[in-house]
Amino acid sequence: MRLRDYIEQSFSNLWKKKLRTSLTTCGVVIGIGALVSMMSFGEGVQKNVTDTFRELELFNYVGVFPDAESAPGESPEENQPDEREVAQRRILNDEFLEEVMKMEGVEAAFPELRFPAQIKFKDKDEFGLIQVLPAQVRQFGLVKLRAGDFYTSDEENSLIISDSMLRRMDVKEPETAIGEEIELHTLTVDSALFNPASLASVLQGEKLPFAQESYTFTIVGVAERTGFGGPMPIRSDVMIPPGAAENMKKLLLTSLWDFFESSEQNEGYSAVGLRLSAPRYIEPVKAKMEEWGFKTFALVDQLTEIKRAFLFMDMFLFAVGMIGIVVATLGIINTMVMSILERYKEIGIMKAIGASDGDVKKIFFFECEVIGFLGGVFGLALGWSVSMIINQIANSILAGQGAPFTDYFSFPWWLCLGAIAFSMLVSLAAGIYPAIRAARVDPVVALRHD
Amino acid sequence: MDSTALIETENLTKIYSTGKVEVVALKDVSLSVSEGKFLGVTGPSGSGKSTLMNLLGGLDTPSSGKIKVEARPISELNKEELALYRRFQVGMIFQSFNIVSSYTALENVAFPLLFAGVPKKQREHRAKEVLEKVGLYPRRDHRPAELSGGEQQRVAIARALINRPKILLADEPTGNLDSQTSSQIVQTLAELNRNQGLTVIMISHEESLLRQFAHDVVHLRDGEVIEQENIR
Repeated sequence: MRLRDYIEQSFSNLWKKKLRTSLTTCGVVIGIGALVSMMSFGEGVQKNVTDTFRELELFNYVGVFPDAESAPGESPEENQPDEREVAQRRILNDEFLEEVMKMEGVEAAFPELRFPAQIKFKDKDEFGLIQVLPAQVRQFGLVKLRAGDFYTSDEENSLIISDSMLRRMDVKEPETAIGEEIELHTLTVDSALFNPASLASVLQGEKLPFAQESYTFTIVGVAERTGFGGPMPIRSDVMIPPGAAENMKKLLLTSLWDFFESSEQNEGYSAVGLRLSAPRYIEPVKAKMEEWGFKTFALVDQLTEIKRAFLFMDMFLFAVGMIGIVVATLGIINTMVMSILERYKEIGIMKAIGASDGDVKKIFFFECEVIGFLGGVFGLALGWSVSMIINQIANSILAGQGAPFTDYFSFPWWLCLGAIAFSMLVSLAAGIYPAIRAARVDPVVALRHD
Repeated sequence: MDSTALIETENLTKIYSTGKVEVVALKDVSLSVSEGKFLGVTGPSGSGKSTLMNLLGGLDTPSSGKIKVEARPISELNKEELALYRRFQVGMIFQSFNIVSSYTALENVAFPLLFAGVPKKQREHRAKEVLEKVGLYPRRDHRPAELSGGEQQRVAIARALINRPKILLADEPTGNLDSQTSSQIVQTLAELNRNQGLTVIMISHEESLLRQFAHDVVHLRDGEVIEQENIR
């Protein structure tokens, strides 16, 4: 039998039982639709995360911190000569920044300075985290702006505010905030608080004893996203240039600034961010930093963990989606077994006029494949439509909270083709039992059958 | 054994076992049919006529004994080879016509060509030719429900001939037909036998009909050949 004949034969046989065929196919459509939605959601989440990382080039980021345990004179390894250890020990100060910038692959080096402050805009008051960021950072695309522009010099009295902070201030249109004045009330707190662990509790708004002084800045930009993969998953709400920050120090924040940059007797900056031109420099730069006695942090190290988490999520979504497929498979088996009983005599006739067992089997397999193919194509369409609707609804809800429009579902080509192929594969599996049963029909008995 | 024989059977035996009971449907049947002959097989119900037909048609396999067609041992073929034998070497017609009710006359006649891998255009062309031969060309687009019993049996004959077999096996082809139509159908078979050299084996319990057209008539009873007579 020719391939074309098998296909034509299957369509015409299925067409004779339109209602039953369409109901069975509907089962497959729903199953594949659910699976496709689930998988495309998993894909979408993954794509959004990795795209954001890539867009902000977070994979090119290395954080450098002083290693408290390897202070001078305390060699961790007994046999290591002390001189070498001391000679290579560096402090995270401006000299370090200059030197590290000369290394191959290092595009930018900037201190990661953050301090809490009260932010006052119009009548609103919010507690937030201020990040000191040199103006030159703008060229590395670390900050994605929603409105306005980056400040142009390190001395300006202007700042960039995150749109989430603006929203907390009840500003719906980020553009309207550009050029407006904003007040920062700095806090003088115990310097012991400036370690990563305590910062989080400060941010949660717990009342702490502090004195405050206010500074006025002009908003020049509104940030949509910032690409700082620091040691803490804390988002900075406001970015100010270092010159302005230093002025603040002269007036009031002496102790704070000292804490970060008292170069003589202390440890320098608490952290330095390095921006590399390509991920391949991460390993050599990290090795060098560790040789210099620093601790490093790179998001790339986290990537395997992240990938594993995604894999689990995918497996979970797939398992949920498979429920529909299993039910649809039973539907196909049921339909095919019914069909064999109805066409019992026809199968006998086919055999009497020269159909082999293989021919009979293939006829039933092809019918299953037609159901699987139609189910796959329409299931993909259903999954896509449902996903688009959910995406629109989710985005319209989240837009109220100021989130940018995001595709929460992703339909890569392999998912589309895979859905149809999977549908056909499952249908083929569903056809195994019916096809074997059809091939076993004894023509002598079937021809006597009425 | 006759060396010129087209079909030969040798001690052909078929035993059906249903649980503990064994039923001997056919016992030591040895026959020989030369090419171009019209053989009639008759006998009462349960004499083994249909069993003999199913064995000759390759639909069933014997418990013991041999069937040879053109000196080829049919009884030793595997399933796949038997399908090819049924497809190309024998055509069969039945008492209940056994045509597909959802197909038109043309589609029914062309059906065996589907399994032979013949392209659609050729299938239709050949089916039309054969329908013409049995006088049903004008009725080609009708479904079985719209055809008379005689017409349905003609569709079945056309289908049996579509792959140009040498042998036509007819299992009570007139059982569901009135006497006049019966006579016409057997007449058609006799003409095919006479004009095209088709070897016909026909089963019927109507001995008179066989005597009218067949060259030889074999009488079966309880699965055994009790008499072979040469009529013409």
